[in-house]
Amino acid sequence: MPRDEFQQSLADLRAEVLSMSDLVGDRLDRALTALETLDEAAARDVIDGDDAVDRRYLELESTCIQLLAQQQPVAGDLRFVAASFKILTDLERVADLAVNLAQYTLEADRKRFEQVDLSSIGDLAREMLDDAMIAYRTDDAALCRAVAARDDELDSLCQRASDRVVRNLIEREVADGDGWAVEQLLDDVSRLLLIVRDLERIGDHAVNVAARTLYMIESDPELV
Amino acid sequence: MSDSQQTQRQHRIQTETTGSDQPPETTSGETVEETKDEWVEYDFRGAAKMVAEDLDVYYGDDHALKRVSMEIPEESVTALIGPSGCGKSTYLRCLNRMNDRINAARVEGSVQLDGKEIYQDGVNLVELRKRVGMVFQSPNPFPKSIQDNISYGPRKHGDIDTGLLARVLGRDDGDAERELVERALKQAALWDEVHDRLDDNALGLSGGQQQRLCIARCLSVDPEVILMDEPASALDPIATSKIEDLIEELAEEYTVVIVTHNMQQAARISDQTAVFLTGGKLVEYDETDKIFENPESQRVEDYITGKFG
Repeated sequence: MPRDEFQQSLADLRAEVLSMSDLVGDRLDRALTALETLDEAAARDVIDGDDAVDRRYLELESTCIQLLAQQQPVAGDLRFVAASFKILTDLERVADLAVNLAQYTLEADRKRFEQVDLSSIGDLAREMLDDAMIAYRTDDAALCRAVAARDDELDSLCQRASDRVVRNLIEREVADGDGWAVEQLLDDVSRLLLIVRDLERIGDHAVNVAARTLYMIESDPELV
Repeated sequence: MSDSQQTQRQHRIQTETTGSDQPPETTSGETVEETKDEWVEYDFRGAAKMVAEDLDVYYGDDHALKRVSMEIPEESVTALIGPSGCGKSTYLRCLNRMNDRINAARVEGSVQLDGKEIYQDGVNLVELRKRVGMVFQSPNPFPKSIQDNISYGPRKHGDIDTGLLARVLGRDDGDAERELVERALKQAALWDEVHDRLDDNALGLSGGQQQRLCIARCLSVDPEVILMDEPASALDPIATSKIEDLIEELAEEYTVVIVTHNMQQAARISDQTAVFLTGGKLVEYDETDKIFENPESQRVEDYITGKFG
C-alpha cells in the first residue's frame, strides 16, 4: 500500500491516544478511590501526576498538527486525525477533573452525607469513558450511541444526589450560635455539589469522545 | 443526443460500483464491466452551464472515456481529479472540441453549452472556443509583446481594429484596445506587474507571469467557460497561490473547469470535484467538501487518501 509510513503514523496516533486514555483512566480511578477512602496520599499522587498528562497531551496535539500540516489527510484519514485531536482535549479535561476530585479529598477532613452514593456515579462516568474509548479503538458506532444514551442515566443520578444534599441541608438543624459548625456544613455541602458536578462533566466528556468517534467512523455529526 | 436535451437537469454522483450485477452489453456487443448506472441526484448551487451526456471517447481502439455524464454548474470552479490516464484531460478537451484536432479521436455522446449541442454539424469551432477558452499546463504566450498577446484574439475575432486601414479611415480602436488590455490584465492580476512595460516581449516574463498572461489572453475574448489543464503544475508555490487566488476570483464571473493532479489544490479552490479513475470512468462527482471529507465510493476514498494510485 502506498503511503505506508503515513498509514503507520495514523496507527501510531491511535495507539498513543489509547495509551493516553489509559493514563487518564488510571488517574480517574485513583481519584475516585481516594475520594471514597479519603486517602490523602493517593489524592496528592493524582494532583502531582497531572503534569505528566499535560505533557502527553501537548505531545500528541503536536503530532496531530504535524500530520495535518505535512500529510494533509483527507476523507477517513482526515476525520480520524480531526476526531483524535478533539478527543485528546476531552481526555486532558477528564484528567483535570480527576485533579479536582483529588483536591476535594484533601479539603474534606471527614466523611459527611454518606447517604449520597458518589461511587456509583463515579463508576458510571468511568464506564462511559471506557466504552467511548473502546468505540474509538474498535470503530464501534453502536457503542458510541450507547455511551450517549447512558448520559441521561448519569445526569439523573447526579440530579438525585444534588437534591438529596440540598434536602438534607434544609432538614438539618444546627445549634444556634455554633458558627463554626455552620461554616463546616456549608463547605461540605458546596464541595459535595462540586464533586457531583465534576462527575457529571466526566460523563459529558465521555459523550464528546463518543460523538467525535461516531463522526470519525460514519461522518455522522449526530452526537456532536 | 435529443434525449439529453429533454432530460431534466440533474447533478449526479455515481455510487459505488459493486460488480455484482451482470455487466450490461452495449449495442456493439462490448462488455461494460462494473458500471452500475445508479445515480444519486445532487443539486449543486448554480444552473448547469455545460452538460455532458453519455460521453465516450476513443483514441483508435483505446476507449479513453466511458459513458461520462456530468454537469458543470455556472460561475463556479469544477475540479477534475484522478490518476494519469483516467480520462480527465480527455473529458476537459471534449468541452471545447479540442479532441477534434486529434485524428484518431472519436467522440460519441452529447455535450451541451447553455443547452445547445456542441457536437453537431454547423457548430462554429472558432466561436465555440471563444466562448469556451482554454489555459494549458505550460505557459504558452505568443512571442510577441505583452499587449499583442492580449489584443491578438479580439483582433482576429474582429472585436477591435487597429490596422492601417482603420487608422487611415479614422476608425482606429486604439483606445478600446488599451482598455481591453488593461481590463484583461487586471482580471488576471497581472496589470500591476506589467503596466509599464506592455511593449516588452512576453517571453521575458517569469513562468507565473506568463501563465497569468495566458489567462488574460483567454479572458480578452470574453469567454463564458475557462478550461484549465493543470495550470499551476509548472509553477512555484507563490506563483501557484496567485493562480489559485485568480481562479477563485474568476469563478465569480466565469465557469471554470480545472484538471489538476494536486488534490490539495482541488480541495482548496474548487466548489465541486469529479473523480475519474482508471479506465476512463467518472466514479464520483459531488461538492468538494463532501469528496474530501466523506466520499461515497471506497475507491475514491482509497485514491484521495493515497492508498492506491
